[in-house]
Parts: sequence; structure tokens; C-alpha cells
Amino acid sequence: MVISQEEHLKELDKGYRFDWKDPSHAVFEPKRGLSPAVVEEISSLKSEPDWMRKRRLKALEHFEARPMPWWGADLSEIDFENIFYFIRSTEKQAGNWDDLPEDIRGTWDKLGIPEAEKKYLGGVSAQYESEVVYHKIKKELDDIGVLFTDMDSALRDYPDLVKEHFGTLIPSNDNKFAALNTAVWSGGSFIYVPPGVQVDIPLQAYFRINAENMGQFERTLIIADEGSYVHYVEGCSAPIYSSDSLHSAVVEIKAMKGARVRYTTIQNWSTNVYNLVTKRAAAYEDAVMEWVDGNIGSKVTMKYPSIYLLGEGARGEVLSVAYAGKGMHTDAGGKAIHAAPHTTSVITSKSVSKDGGRTGYRGLVRVEPDAHHARSTVRCDALILDDESRSDTYPYIEVEDETAALGHEATVSKVGEDQLFYLMSRGLSEVEATAMIVNGFIEPITRELPMEYAVELNRLVELQMEGSVG
Amino acid sequence: MTFDRAALDALPIAPGSTGAIRERAFAQFEALPLPSQETEEWRYTDLSEFDLDFAAHVPGHGEGAPEPRVQGLAASLLQHNSSVVMTTSGQDLEATGVIFCDLDLAAEKYPDLVGKHLHALVPTDRTLFTALHGAFRTGGTFLYVPPDVAVEMPLQTLTYLDADGAAVFPHTLLIADRGAEVTFIDRYVSPDLGRGLSDAIAEIVVGDGAHVQYASIQEWGTGVTHLAVQRARLGRDADFRSLAVGFGASLARAEAETVLAEPGGFSEMLGVFFADETQHFDHRSVQDHAAANCTSDLLYKGALRDHSRAVYSGWVHVRPGAQKTNAMQTSRNMVLSESAKADAIPNLEIEANDVRCGHAASVGPVEEETLFYLQSRGIPRDEAERLVVTGFFQEVLDRVALEEVRTGAELAIQEELAKAI
Repeated sequence: MVISQEEHLKELDKGYRFDWKDPSHAVFEPKRGLSPAVVEEISSLKSEPDWMRKRRLKALEHFEARPMPWWGADLSEIDFENIFYFIRSTEKQAGNWDDLPEDIRGTWDKLGIPEAEKKYLGGVSAQYESEVVYHKIKKELDDIGVLFTDMDSALRDYPDLVKEHFGTLIPSNDNKFAALNTAVWSGGSFIYVPPGVQVDIPLQAYFRINAENMGQFERTLIIADEGSYVHYVEGCSAPIYSSDSLHSAVVEIKAMKGARVRYTTIQNWSTNVYNLVTKRAAAYEDAVMEWVDGNIGSKVTMKYPSIYLLGEGARGEVLSVAYAGKGMHTDAGGKAIHAAPHTTSVITSKSVSKDGGRTGYRGLVRVEPDAHHARSTVRCDALILDDESRSDTYPYIEVEDETAALGHEATVSKVGEDQLFYLMSRGLSEVEATAMIVNGFIEPITRELPMEYAVELNRLVELQMEGSVG
Repeated sequence: MTFDRAALDALPIAPGSTGAIRERAFAQFEALPLPSQETEEWRYTDLSEFDLDFAAHVPGHGEGAPEPRVQGLAASLLQHNSSVVMTTSGQDLEATGVIFCDLDLAAEKYPDLVGKHLHALVPTDRTLFTALHGAFRTGGTFLYVPPDVAVEMPLQTLTYLDADGAAVFPHTLLIADRGAEVTFIDRYVSPDLGRGLSDAIAEIVVGDGAHVQYASIQEWGTGVTHLAVQRARLGRDADFRSLAVGFGASLARAEAETVLAEPGGFSEMLGVFFADETQHFDHRSVQDHAAANCTSDLLYKGALRDHSRAVYSGWVHVRPGAQKTNAMQTSRNMVLSESAKADAIPNLEIEANDVRCGHAASVGPVEEETLFYLQSRGIPRDEAERLVVTGFFQEVLDRVALEEVRTGAELAIQEELAKAI
């Protein structure tokens, strides 16, 4: 897809283009604040098995017992008592867009989800506030045994599979926000790909927050059985409000022997959303796990997708792009834990900060004893577009095996004046030239995205560059 | 004996302003906790069970100390245990106004200079160990070079510890006034001891346009715990080049910090370390760019053998307004044995945009092909390993400008490798 220059310029005038608000469709009057009663209520509304209810209540204790993280971004302004932990927007999940209330349907149309579904997706899950309001998987995939459903339905329809894997990679007490998610989770995706099945078109989930002070806590579990392949894509957005919302997801992925999973995120929350997410994958023998993690929006993001390389020959890759504009702190990164021989990992991070924004790369590469012949490369590049902005790099390298070969490199710089001068001498404005340079800078990430998302990301960059220089 | 009020009162009288420092630091020492691994700064070194039972003050006499490795020193100072026992001067330094003497003597004779600078760069309340140092230090080195005076040959302090169970508090206060030039070596030596504590501080003031080369050669014996803080402040257009060589001690934690406080400063920080047996090294560096138009470059290389463990963590800070900063930070680790362990954490915190900053870190095995090649040429495995490590370190040593310092470091490395491999 090629975008003309006029289209570019038109985009630049729009600002955050996901800023619309639907009237409330809450099925019952939502309540603010968190307590065991709220957790019990969520569990009971979902008619959950008792083990899950107990798991939630225990997790709430962990959440309350754990201190706030003292490192990373400033989280002191989160008012947990002012958050809505559960809002149900429709009585029943739709399998047809026309069955949704008109406003909600309109939101998905504006986000272009039904159109994308027709063109290039194998399945779509659309979460609005706390629950998935629309869900559909292509018949061909259903026929060959691919399970793709929302997490609430999965707990009902595949209780044994869920019970076997839920919380095994990210235990309730892993960190404060994983504990919170475990206590109040709702929605999210469940995917199971049978052995040898290649899902060659992406499955997509989109997460939309509509209400002010919303707390969205989706829970995703993906199991790619031996030799299978799946690409899961998620997007998210919210209207702009003057007070804060909280998004705290947990994502667990298992790539079994020889499987390959690619998980792509284009996170574009409005700048009043705290985005505090725990994502972790296990890659078994010869499996490949890839995180493509685009963080463009939110007030604060703390997210470090990790890969545990548990089987010999497993490979992991994290591609991370982070943007922070005015008032934003994007603390992203990636982790690779080498726990088996001959495992490899590659982490590539690109960040851009502007208008006082702060980006951070925080990462860990760890080689366990006896994980011999591990190989890892980490590359972090940061662009800082003005003297108000900031970039941090905190890479941890821990090696307990002498045959490991690890490398880390990072650079921080500004947009090259000679590059700008050259492009401007060719008739581009400074804004256009900067956008072009930034797009070139993040190209190693965008070229890994499905084309529609790459175009979207490039547009976002151009949008964000508005007024950045000169 | 231990670090209590009685031990403090038994120390020789603290001259000049150091008396007040001693009292203040002792109060801080009593109030501060042992560093905890729960803090980021001490994450990789566990001192929570560290036993502070050492002899606080052991007078020395100078016998048994090794000869200097470096020939042609402009002057040298010998501290044996808690006492400075000898200062020799090969040239007529006094005529040029250079002051080189026992820090306590300087506190008495030059109260203004010492009063202004002692513990200004490394405050006593930084940690429990800097407080302990402030309270119990005796001896140490004072070096002052007046404006525009260039001292061609290096000066050296040898701190020699041979009392089992004793603590020593090496302190170097080096002030190079505007336009001065000087090279200084801090060398730490001991035999293998049951236990020993080296709680060391180096404060280095590099005046406007001054050039300072500073080398520390740490060759403590087994049993010694070495906890060192080195901090340099660079004035306008100052030039500071440091070299840290670390081989000794059972546990060595060395922090090296450079503050580029005024525009135009240049800082080079080099390090080589070799760890074997069960040695634990924790090297930390800070390149703090507080002013515009400064350059800093850091290269640390370490080789590890046996069950040793080495951590390198470094920070590059670029403060708001420190435009045109050029900062580079590189850590390379070579792991020679299966059970050695290396960690590297090179951090960047950048708050200005017109900068060039980068870092690189690597941890890797020794090239088996290289060893195989050397062995195929008839060189025994041990010798081949020594050659490979020497070659690995050479990149750092080649950057040491002054031949005497370079040769001294090379000799120290050869002695260490001959012992270890």
C-alpha cells in the first residue's frame, strides 16, 4: 500500500485518531474499587469453577501484600480505588457484527476491524471493556481443530486444558500486576493449535477501552502444539480522558517442540492509560518464539516480553519499538533466559523520545549453568528528538556457562543533521524529513509486521512527528 | 578488636579538620546498615553476613614490602598497614611547589587544602564502608601539583598489608591545579592472609586544563576483602586517564566514577582484571556528563578462570543540557573455565539529545581454535592460554600512554598469569 503525500499531511492534522467515546452500555451499574467481594462477584457472574475463584482470591492477597515496584516508571499516581475492575457491555457475545449495539459496532467499524477480518484474518476477537463482545474464527481453521476463543469461554468449554496451563508460566505471585490480573482477569484470548497445523493467516484480537477509569485485565493463553505455527496480532486503543485508566494483561505462550509462534502487538493506548503487562513464553526443543512489540501510546508502559528457552535448539526473538511523547514514559524491553543447550536469542530495540517523553530499554539475557553453546545478540538504538526528552538503557547480562557467546550493543543519538539537510534540499519539509528518518530508523521492526500494520505504524510515526522540530 | 568507640579513641590524634571528620563518620558508621543485595548497587555482592571484626589500627615499620616494579619514579610513598613509613623523592619536587606526603601530615601543614577537598568527592556517608573509612583512616597519600607544573615521571604509593586480621584504609587525595600535569600509581600488595580488609578511597581533582593519569594496581593476597571507591572531578578542558588493574583479593569491589563537571573535559577509563579460583569481582563505573562538549570513553576487559565470578556494571549519565556529549562504554569478558561466571550490565541514562552515546558488552568463551593452533605449534596448553589472555589484555594496555605505567602493568599481568595458569 502506498500513501500519497496529501494523505500523509491530512493524517498529520488529525492528532490521536482513536479519541471517540461511546455512551455507556454497561449491563449493570459498575462499581469502583477492589475488594474480595468484587473478585467474588466477577467469578460468580462468570459462573466459574471453584478452583478459579480460589485462585483469584489468593492472587488478591498477593497483590495486596506486594509492594509497588520501586524501579522503572513512576506508578505513584495510580488510584486503585478509583478504577472500575469489571464492566460488562453486552449480555451475550456476538458472532455477527450486526448483532452488536450500534455505537459499539460503530467503534469497531472506525477501527477497521470488520474490514480487516474480511481481507486477511483467520479469526477475530474484539474485547470492549472487560469482555469479548464479538468473536469469530474462520470455518477452515475450526474444521482442522484450531481453537481460538475468548478466555472466559475457554474456561467453560475446555476446562481441563485451561486448568493444565493457566498460570504455569506466570504464577499469581510473579509480580504485583500479574497478581492483580489473576485476581480480576476477564476476557483475553485462548488459542490451541494442534500438532503440525500451520495457521498461515493471522488471528487478531483488539482491545478497546471506552469508559473513564476503566481497568482492563485480559488474560491470554496460547499453546502451539508440536510442529505448528500461529501468528497472533493484538491492537489496542482508548479515548482520551483527564483521569487515568489501567490496563494490566497477562499473556502466557507455550511453543512446543518444533512449533513457531509469533505474537505481534501494536499498543496505541491514549495517554491516560497505565499499561503494565506481563508477557512470557516458553520455547521447547527447536521451537521458535517471536515477540514483535510496538509501544506507541499510553501514559506509562512497563512491559518486557520474555522467552524461556527450555528445549535444546530453541530460538527466541524480541523486536521492540517504543515511542514516548509529551508526558509519556515507555519502559519496554525483552528477556531471554537460556536454560537449554544450543539456544539462541536476538533482541532488537528501537526507541524514539520527543517533547519531554522518556523511553527505556530494560532487558535481561541470562544463561543458566549447562545451557552450553548459547548465543545471544542484543541491539538497542535510541533516537532523542529534542533536549527535553530522555532515553535510558538498562541491559542485564548474566552468564553461568563458559561456552556462551553474548553481545550487547546500544547507541543513542539525534536525527542526523546531514540526513535532514539532504532530504530538505530535495523539497521535503522538516517534519516530513524527520518522519522519514524515524521511519527508516524503525524499519527493522516494521518490515516484520503484516503490511497493514506496518503502514499503520509508519502513519503513527508521521503523526507523532508533527511539530517535533523547527 | 573491632570498630568500636574504644578502638576509635585508641587511634593516633587526628590532625586539623580530620578530627571532626572522624567523629562525624563514626556516628554515620554506627547508624548505617551493611549494604543489602536488595539494592541495585549491591545486587551482585553479598556482604549481609560480613564480619566486621578486624584490628582497627596496626602500626607498620616498612620491612618486607616489595620493591617497585617501575623504575624512575619521581617520588614514592610507602604505607605499611596503618602507617606511612617512608616518602622518597628522586627529583627536587619541592622546588616546584609539588606536595607529596602522608595525608595526616598534610592535614596538619596544609589545613586549607585538605579541609576543602578531603571527603568532598566521596562523602563519608555514602555507605557504611566509606563511613568506616572516614572514622578509622590513618595515613594515606596527599598529592598536590601547583598550576602549570608538569611532573614528567610517575609518583607511586605502595600500600602494603601483612598483618593478618587487620583493616587498612588507603586514601589518595590528588589535586592537580589548573594546567598541571601528573601521573600517579596506587599499588596495593599483601601476602595471602587469613583475613584482611582494604577499605580504600581515591579522590582526584583535575583542575581546568590539567592532565592526570591515574593507575591502580590491586594485588592483594587471598583473604583480603577490597572495597574501593575512586571518584574524579574534571574541570574545564581537563584530561583524565585512568587504568585499573585488578588481580588480587578474595572479594574486590571497585567503583570508579568520573564527573565531567565543566565543558571540554576528556575522560578515559581503562580496566583489566583477571579472576581465578573463587575470587569475586564487582566492578562498577560511572561516566557522569554534567556539562556540554565532553568526551568519555571506557574499556574494561576481564578474563575469568576456575570458579571465579565477575560483574561489570556501568552507567553513562548525560545530564540535561550536556549537549555534544560523546560517551562510549565497552565491557569484554573472556571465560576460560566451565564454572566461572560473568555478568555485564552497561546502562545508559541520557537526558540530552545532541549526543553520541553507545555501549557494548560481551561475554564469550576463549577461542578453542586459537588454543588448538598454538598447541599444534608445540606450545603447551597453559602457555597458550597465557598468550591468549595477554593478547586479550593488550588492546587495553596499548592505550596507556606512559611507558613506565604500561610496563609496570604488563609485568604485573605476566606475574599473575604465571602464578594462576
